[in-house]
This record gives sequence, structure tokens and C-alpha cells, in this order.
Amino acid sequence: MDLGVLNTYLPTLIRYVLVALGLGAVMLLVYRVQLRFGIKQEAAAGRALVTPWVIGFLVFNLFTIGASLYLSFTDYNLFRAPEWVGTDNYADLFDISAVPLESASQRSSDALPRRHDEIIRVTVGDSGFVVGARESDFWRSMRLTVIYAVVTVPLGLAGALGVALLLNQKVRFIGLWRVLYYLPAVLPAVATALLWRWMFSSSGIVNAALSPFLNFFGLPAPQWMTNPGLSPVLFIIISLWGVFGANSVILLAALKGIPKELYEAVDIDGGADWAKFRHVTLPMLSPALFYNLVTSLIGALQAFEVAAFIPTPADAGTFLNWQIYQEAFNFRNMGMASAMAWILLMLIIALTALVFRSSSAWVFYQGAREGA
Amino acid sequence: MSTISQSRPLTTFDQPPSQRRFNIRRVIIYALLLFGAALVLIPFLWMISTSLKTQDQLFVRQINFIPNPAVPANYLEVWNRLSSINPGMTVWRILGNTLFITILAMIGEIFSASLVAYGFSRFRWKGRDTLFAIMLATIMIPGIVTRVPGFLIWRSLGLLDTYDPLTWHSLFAWGPIYIFLMRQFFNTIPREIEEAAIIDGANTFQIYLYIMLPLIKPILLAIAVLSFQGNWNNFQGPLLYLSTPEKFPLALAMRFFDQSLSKEAPQWQYMMAMATMMAAPVLAIYFLAQKQFLEGINVGGVKG
Repeated sequence: MDLGVLNTYLPTLIRYVLVALGLGAVMLLVYRVQLRFGIKQEAAAGRALVTPWVIGFLVFNLFTIGASLYLSFTDYNLFRAPEWVGTDNYADLFDISAVPLESASQRSSDALPRRHDEIIRVTVGDSGFVVGARESDFWRSMRLTVIYAVVTVPLGLAGALGVALLLNQKVRFIGLWRVLYYLPAVLPAVATALLWRWMFSSSGIVNAALSPFLNFFGLPAPQWMTNPGLSPVLFIIISLWGVFGANSVILLAALKGIPKELYEAVDIDGGADWAKFRHVTLPMLSPALFYNLVTSLIGALQAFEVAAFIPTPADAGTFLNWQIYQEAFNFRNMGMASAMAWILLMLIIALTALVFRSSSAWVFYQGAREGA
Repeated sequence: MSTISQSRPLTTFDQPPSQRRFNIRRVIIYALLLFGAALVLIPFLWMISTSLKTQDQLFVRQINFIPNPAVPANYLEVWNRLSSINPGMTVWRILGNTLFITILAMIGEIFSASLVAYGFSRFRWKGRDTLFAIMLATIMIPGIVTRVPGFLIWRSLGLLDTYDPLTWHSLFAWGPIYIFLMRQFFNTIPREIEEAAIIDGANTFQIYLYIMLPLIKPILLAIAVLSFQGNWNNFQGPLLYLSTPEKFPLALAMRFFDQSLSKEAPQWQYMMAMATMMAAPVLAIYFLAQKQFLEGINVGGVKG
């Protein structure tokens, strides 16, 4: 052990202890002050106990959210004070154009206004249209992230439900299967991202396994890392590997919690297996499915590690979370990055609200029905 | 899907065919389970297999899972390579960094979350339910929105490139899910237990330490394993705050190694050796404490 090592650990350790002691003192103070004002001991103790969270919330949530909103209206590069630019960042981001194509062979760059780049191009027959934007990198990443979320979330849920139903079939060694299926969710995302990059490299195991089929049809080996069309496919495959187990553990527990009598009732009514699934299993699972839907949606929109380790071609975009990180910490456009983060936040809120809105139509809460 | 979704066999009139159908069903179920297990295991085994290969075994047309010859020395060699790029990045240093961050963050988040959950659960006070609802809502705030200002806070404290943002920040109960999980558990404890302790003259902190914590031991263990996994695997936090390679935890060291290699031929055997090493402690804990692991996930999912 040389002194350099101690120099990096020790100061942090000292500050750690000091902050812990300080927090304890603050909690005690909160307690005493309340007692002084004649508040009952129980209430005073309760409030004192949640103080660490309240401080953390005020500083690291409330303040940072406010600051982020403020920064999104500024130009800020860390070195000079933030400069108020009004809605310029948002105006730049929403500088989008949609132009009809004169012919299917017309180049997008000829149709779009100056400084706009293609995001989406649709051709039907000899006509079509192209959508472009000034901040095309951001919108390409938006495109990739949304496609990814829209495909992986339902597929992942369906797959997890399938696994949970399989494991619920009185199979032997249930513990072993469960441990196995959950394995990908335990592994560090960093390690698995690298592993997938290796597996999907041009001469990796995936292409080696595919080569008999490709040779049979005379197709070239897919270039997963450089073909922009394949980037979403690659990310979707990677995400499905991990998502099955994590969600199916929760679904399996919910399945085990369904009372047997409900199935017997369907038996008495002469219902078949499908009727049991449709009228008992699905409604009883709906709260767990709902929970999984919300968490996987929020998770999918915030994918990060895969993007950090698996580079994508520029035409494909990358995950928004990574794109925004780059904008803030590589290009030092803190203002612009904050505006982007707010657009992502709005997207997450809108999609989550949509899911919550729809929940009254399909999520069945036992307690709620009985109470009504 | 329809074969999967069928539940137990029905009472049918023609016994022999249904008996046969039953067996076919079992076969299909196990075939599907095995297929799924293969999908999970193949990438995992490929990682371990690659980590034991020599450079010239990497790119061959034939897929070969058994390395011949197997070179466990890759696991040492990767560290030699890493410290030849940056002399400060020795195996002990990087491991020490990772453990330092993980342990301090674990202690902080478990201790503070349990105190806060206790306050939200066993005491009646005005404003409690509102605050608790706000706390739950914070789960949905995407990290990216708070990342830039968070960075600026630590920068203004002069604590960039230190372990502070990754360690004592946890003392402020940064994990709302853990608070939620523990509160669920605290809520199930009968009130009489506390009252008996109060009559015996115990104060709030003594009750918490000697009565409450032992009673929620199952969920504490579950949270401990989840917390270890979360902090050990953490990549976003260290990436944001650490810039000196000697201070990197494993996740960042891996990225550093990856980026310094990209110019040469990709040496996947070393990358995979490192990935396996990073996964090993988490896997070991997962296999030892799988009950707690799955328990923690379930309490959040089913009751939430």
C-alpha cells in the first residue's frame, strides 16, 4: 500500500463518516425542535427518521429537476455562466420539416431544406415523403429508442408470461429453472453488452451459426455493427435475452397466488383450458402484468450500457439516454442536453400516463371490485 | 402459445387419448423449457469459453465451445495488459476501488432506507402519506434529467473525480424502491411488540435496532444482495464522476481496456476474461442467496 492509494480512499471515508454523523445530528435537531413546539413524541420521531430522505429529495431531486428545466433555456458549456437563450434550444430541436418527394429516386438531401438531414423516408410507388430535422442525430436516436421500446416491451412481456406459464406447470426442479432463467438479469450490463458485441461481430458466433442458412440461400453474412437497418434488430435481440427472466419471476409468483377455486369454478361451468386462461389467469395476473409493463417501458426508454459498449452507424442513431449523455459531457452542450432530457422526460410521462389511463380497462384489482 | 397457456388436464370422457395427450404435453413443456434454458446459457457459456481460448482459436469457422488448449492464464494476463497500458491499474487497485464503492454505498443505502422506511411505517404524523406518495413518484424520474445538475452540484463541492458522489450520497436514502420494500415489511409487525418495548423503557432507536431490524431480516438480506448487485454493476455513476483511470471500478476499467484495444486486433479472450471476473462475485452471491434475490424482486412486483 503506497500513500497514493490511501489518499484517494481516506478523504472520502472521512467525509462519509462526517456526513453520517452530521445527518444524525440534524435528525436529532429535527426531533428536539418539534418537541419544543409541543408536537407529540411519536410524530416528532417519525419526521426525524425520514429527514435523510427529505434532504436528499430536496437537493438531488427537486432542485436538480428545477435546475435542469432552467438550463434547458440556456446556453451553457461549463466554463462560462449559463446564458439565457429563451426557447432557442427547443426551437432548434423542433426544427423539423416534412417534404413530399418528386420521384422515388430523388435524393432526400435535395428535397429537404438546407441543414436538415433525413430522419424518416417513405416511398410508395414513385411518390413519397421525407422527414428531416436540423438536430437529426437526436431524432434518429429518438426513432431508434421508440422502435426499440415499442417492440421489446410487448415481446418481452409475452415471453415472460410464456416462461412463467411454463414454470407453473408443476415441472420438476422448478428452483433450478427459475435460477437459470433469471441469470441474464443478474449479470453486469457492462459484461453482457461486451459479450453481445463479440457474439454479433462480423465473424462471431451468431454469423457462424447462421452461415449454413446464409450459404444455402446465397446471402452475404449480415454486418450487425455497420448496417444501420440491423441496429434496432440487434438491440431488440439483446434486450429480450435479459428481460424474460426478470419479469417472469414476478409473474410466476403472481400465478402461484391465484386461488385454485377460481379454476375449479371454470371446470364446473364446463370451460376449456383457453377459457381458464382468458377468464381467470389473465385477469388475476393483470396487476403484475401492469407493474411489469410500466417498469419495462421506463427501463426500455432509458437503455444506456448497451449503447456505451455497442457503437452504431451514424444513420441508425443510438439510445436517447446515451445521445443526451454525449451531448452534455462530450460536447459540453449542457443547455441543449437539458432540453433533450426534458423531451425524453415528457415522452416517458406521456407513455406512462397512457398506460395508466388504459389500466382501468384491463387491470383487475380484486380488492377494488369487492369494495365497490 | 396456446399449448403453453393450457393449464392442468381436464376431466375427459375418453381416458386413453387424453392420457397420451398429457404425456405429449409434458414433453412439449420440457422441450420448451430446455430450449429457453439453452438460449440463456449459450451466450453465458460462450463468454467463459472465449475467456479460456488463445488468440488463434477465436476466429474459426467451426463453433467450438471447448477451448483446446485452455489457457486460464488469460485471467492473469489481462491484468498485465491493463497495467502495461496504465501502470496504476493493477488488479488489486481496481478490485479495491470496486469494493470500496460497493461496500460504502451498500451500507449507506440499506441503513438510511431502513431508517426512513421505519419513519414512514411505525409512526403516525401529519403529512406522512403525502410525502410517501411523493417518494414513490420519484421512482419514475429518469436519471438523465437530474444528471447534468447533479454533476454540477458535485462539481461546485469540488468533489468530482472522488468517490464521494458514489458513496455518501447513499446516506440520503437514494433508493426509493428499498424504502418501499422495507416499509411493506415494517407494516406487518404487530404494534404490541413495540408497546411492550416502550413499557420496558426502550427508546425509539433501541426499538429500531434491537426489535425492528431483526424482525425484517428476510427483506434486509434480499435488499443486501440486490444492493450489492446494483452497486457492483453500476456503470453510469462512475462514468459520470470518475476521470482518473487509477480510480476506476471494474465496469470503467473494462471500458478503458476496450477503448485502448480497439486500434489493435480485438483481443476478445481478455475482454471476456475480464467480463467473467466482473460477473463472478455477483453470480456467486446470486447462487448462494437466490431465495433472497427472488424474494426481493417479488415483494416489489406483487405488492406494488
